[in-house]
Amino acid sequence: MPVVDVDPDELRDLVGTTKDDDELREDLFALGLEFEGWTEDDEFQLEFAPDRLDRLSVEGIARSLRYQYGTDRGVYIPNTNDAEWTIEVDGPPAERPYVTGAVVRGLDFDAESLESLIQVQEKLHATMGRQRAKGAIGVHDLVALKGTAGTAGEKSIRYTAMDPDEETFVPLESDEELTPREVTERHHMGSDYADLVADLDSYPAIYDDLGLFSFPPVINGRRTEVSEQSRDLLIEMTGTDQWTIDHMCSIVCYALSARGGQVERVNVEYTDDTPGEYAGHTLDRPDFSVKTKTVAHDRIESIIGVEFDTETVVDCAERAGLDATESTNDDGQTVYEVEIPPYRVDVLHPLDVIDDIGRAYGFNDLEPRYPDVSTVGGRHERSRLEDAVRDSLVGLGFEDLLNFHMISEAENFDRLDVSPGDDYLGGGEPVTIREPYSEAYEILRTWALPSLLLVLENNTHREYPQHLSEIGLAAHLDDSQNTGVEEYQTVAGVLAETDVSYEDARARLQALAGAFGADLETPPTEHPAFISGRTAEVVLDGEPAGVIGEIHPKVLVEHDLELPVAAFEFRLDALQ
Amino acid sequence: MQLPEAQVAVLKTADSNADRPITEIADEAELKPETATRAAFELEDDGLLSVTERTDTSVELTDEADEYLESGLPELRLYEAALEAGADEEPVPLGKLLGQAGLDGPAVDIALANFARKGYGEVDSGDVSAAPDASADADEELLALESIAAGEPVDDENLLDQLDRRGLVERSDSTIRLVQVTGDGVTALMEGVEAAETVDRLTPELITSGEWESVEFTEYNVEAEAEKPPQGKEHILRQTANRVKDVLVGMGFKEMEGPHVDAQFWINDCLFMPQDHPARTHWDQFDLESPDKIKYLPEDLVANVRSAHLEGVGEDGEGYHSPWEEAVAKSLDLRGHTTSLSMRHLSGHATGDLEPPERYFSVEKVYRNDTLDPTHLLEFFQIEGWVLAEDLSARDLMGTFTEFYEQFGITDLDFKPHYNPYTEPSFELFGTHPETGEVVEVGNSGIFRDEVCRPLGVEADVMAWGLSLERLLMLMYGFEDIRDVHGTLCDLELLRDVEVVY
Repeated sequence: MPVVDVDPDELRDLVGTTKDDDELREDLFALGLEFEGWTEDDEFQLEFAPDRLDRLSVEGIARSLRYQYGTDRGVYIPNTNDAEWTIEVDGPPAERPYVTGAVVRGLDFDAESLESLIQVQEKLHATMGRQRAKGAIGVHDLVALKGTAGTAGEKSIRYTAMDPDEETFVPLESDEELTPREVTERHHMGSDYADLVADLDSYPAIYDDLGLFSFPPVINGRRTEVSEQSRDLLIEMTGTDQWTIDHMCSIVCYALSARGGQVERVNVEYTDDTPGEYAGHTLDRPDFSVKTKTVAHDRIESIIGVEFDTETVVDCAERAGLDATESTNDDGQTVYEVEIPPYRVDVLHPLDVIDDIGRAYGFNDLEPRYPDVSTVGGRHERSRLEDAVRDSLVGLGFEDLLNFHMISEAENFDRLDVSPGDDYLGGGEPVTIREPYSEAYEILRTWALPSLLLVLENNTHREYPQHLSEIGLAAHLDDSQNTGVEEYQTVAGVLAETDVSYEDARARLQALAGAFGADLETPPTEHPAFISGRTAEVVLDGEPAGVIGEIHPKVLVEHDLELPVAAFEFRLDALQ
Repeated sequence: MQLPEAQVAVLKTADSNADRPITEIADEAELKPETATRAAFELEDDGLLSVTERTDTSVELTDEADEYLESGLPELRLYEAALEAGADEEPVPLGKLLGQAGLDGPAVDIALANFARKGYGEVDSGDVSAAPDASADADEELLALESIAAGEPVDDENLLDQLDRRGLVERSDSTIRLVQVTGDGVTALMEGVEAAETVDRLTPELITSGEWESVEFTEYNVEAEAEKPPQGKEHILRQTANRVKDVLVGMGFKEMEGPHVDAQFWINDCLFMPQDHPARTHWDQFDLESPDKIKYLPEDLVANVRSAHLEGVGEDGEGYHSPWEEAVAKSLDLRGHTTSLSMRHLSGHATGDLEPPERYFSVEKVYRNDTLDPTHLLEFFQIEGWVLAEDLSARDLMGTFTEFYEQFGITDLDFKPHYNPYTEPSFELFGTHPETGEVVEVGNSGIFRDEVCRPLGVEADVMAWGLSLERLLMLMYGFEDIRDVHGTLCDLELLRDVEVVY
């Protein structure tokens, strides 16, 4: 879950409250923001759920608290001024064709508010921006920009493509003038996002009159760097999806507006032959239009489980930062037309509005009730069989184990002298994991005996005898299956004890088979992990099901074991 | 008459004219005191012996007292040294005397404490003056110690108290049992009393022949620890899982079954998780190399789910602004949660079409590419449960799960509004730990979104909840490292020693 750092004093300021830290933390918990701890700078570290991305900043959290306390009610849309600037979109890479932006004027930054802006960008990148792959944010000091870079008129900038090796500029946190490719290779921040442009023939670029000033999604130029002295900002966002970047932009604008910034719109002009869906169109941004959803009164009552009067519904909506108007639909039922502000990127369906109403009402105050529907419970057959076999094994003195299903190839095959594709038990082709966590967990086991031997190896310092068993998953490739994998439950047992022999294993297998009324036969067979002449096939009710025998000394030595081990393994369903 | 050997010995050794302590009898008869005592009681039951009690106070010298008997009481040594140094005429410095008396350390304080008290002289400003006429030979305490050492009684209680205070004697009360042969006992002896044999193992012959009545059984050391027999045991996690299953079955839930290797379609797409969601990357789920893709997905279902992702569900529904590819949906992973089973069941593709009401659960393995450390595993058990019914509300959700947790002693649940891509509303459950009283997170829950239910053809409401079994186990047991318990790195001793779950 993402984490955001919040200064409680800033929060109190923006909310307009004198509540102390503990009270604030409680209120934040009710909003769904969990206190994780204190940062080095004595700030709250809050874990938040990634649906409410507007809460990525102290300004957004303050707004939520103001609604919660009733200081603010209903939908709020910041006032915007008419556009002065244009972003001309003329042939950026087709892989990243979209751009959006806004101008915000009259800001008065201090260290904390600037930090908050940086954090909002970081967190948006990490969530909605999908690590900048989907959307990348650039914030620039407007004073350093000069318009007329494009053909659109007085003040415009151009989003286009550039040659990775021909252009040069001075990126942030650098003194050198570098080419874009050099930035991705050598700059300490540039290499982080190099992957996103590595396959492109030409790189995304934003120009003004003076030249290149932004290399999205990688890094901005130093020329337009924002500092505490900056008063007017240009915000641009580029990426693979217009809706995503538009909404990221709204969230940033709302945060800056809460700091007293005045939002000024920009025109985003897509030329006729530029890549993407909006070629030939001009978009008016930021888009603060309000979305409407129709929510049925009955559904609200049904989901929350309480009777509501319409005033309460409208009140709860307003306390959630929404506006609800009561109305009647064609079927004569009470519905609400709910208006939703643009920073609510999580509202996809009327249910999301109902959740908001429930939260404002107070879910935790609801009285639980036990649903008045009866159903009959039960275990499925294989599960009951597994339990019964486990009971029998325990009754025979086995210690039941629960091992990992993921294992290394070496453990599953080599150390027991078996190879994938062999005809022996354990020799199936394994399910393999792409980029496993580590070598120790690279395939799914094809049989369970290696796991039991591993446990024996790890417990040579514990008392003997060690009679261990496991009933668990084994899997191997099988083209006749829809998933391409045959999965089944396997039963395995090992007897590690001085003077133990085949007979001891056979005796227990007999008892087990007998308990389930299965006819047991053990014709001799060969298996590389077992001693020749002391190995047999496990045949239950005429069907070959596994192997039984004494483990070969080479396998024992491989596992650091100094005493004999008798073992068996067979498919659980053979006892059905 | 035939009696067990010990009883014969006691009867023959005891006196018919005088009470004698049973310990003495035991000694003489070469029996253990407990054996003799037991025999005495048995004889008393038969009227052959009388058993009475007397409380004796015994006085014993401590080690310190023994020392003083050998080397002399410190105050007396000081006195002697003082006399020798002429302290009866002129006060002598203490330091000089200590050397001569051979006193140092704590003995100095003891000497000083008792010197004046007993009238052997005075110590004033470091100078010692000795009383010329004190009779050191007649020191009461010394005489008393000597008597006790000789085994003679000392009657002066005050004197004994004084010696006790000085830590020179230890007094203890003991109950002495005294026995005397009765008239009937004498008669029996005159008629002849014989010892019966003692027996080790009770055999079938002894039982059937009736001989058991007249034999004595060899005493065993019943307190000693015996060799532990090999003990089979169900794995503690399985026990916990079974307990959970019992509770859920008791609440009307049926068990689900399904594959560990499954298509992303069932694991993620049906759950309305956009295909570019961070949790679908390899950082969270195990993507498979081989096999790569599932062969077949129900076409109508795929179309419905695709439509939900791109266009949303319902009149006012919206989709995600993320791409949706069937190839991604078909790629095979190790399931990251058992909700894939729930999707299969709800869609009708597991046990056939479902009609409300239905309750289903599973306690099965899931795989997460997270980390391997004391509280996290790469594979663990997830408890998952859901209810399909008409008109389910958040209150029904709260009621159902409150009931479940009560069975595990976890009460006072708090439902914190939360977020999951597939449920709305969603709640994180917090409960009070039965032992520590700490408030801890105990689960995640919610009502499935329309975007999950409608594409699967489910019109009624579904509420669901989940929790890791290992988490429940850690809450109940407080294990420090889950790797000691679950997996091939387990510690057999810990598994053997852990208490049974019921």
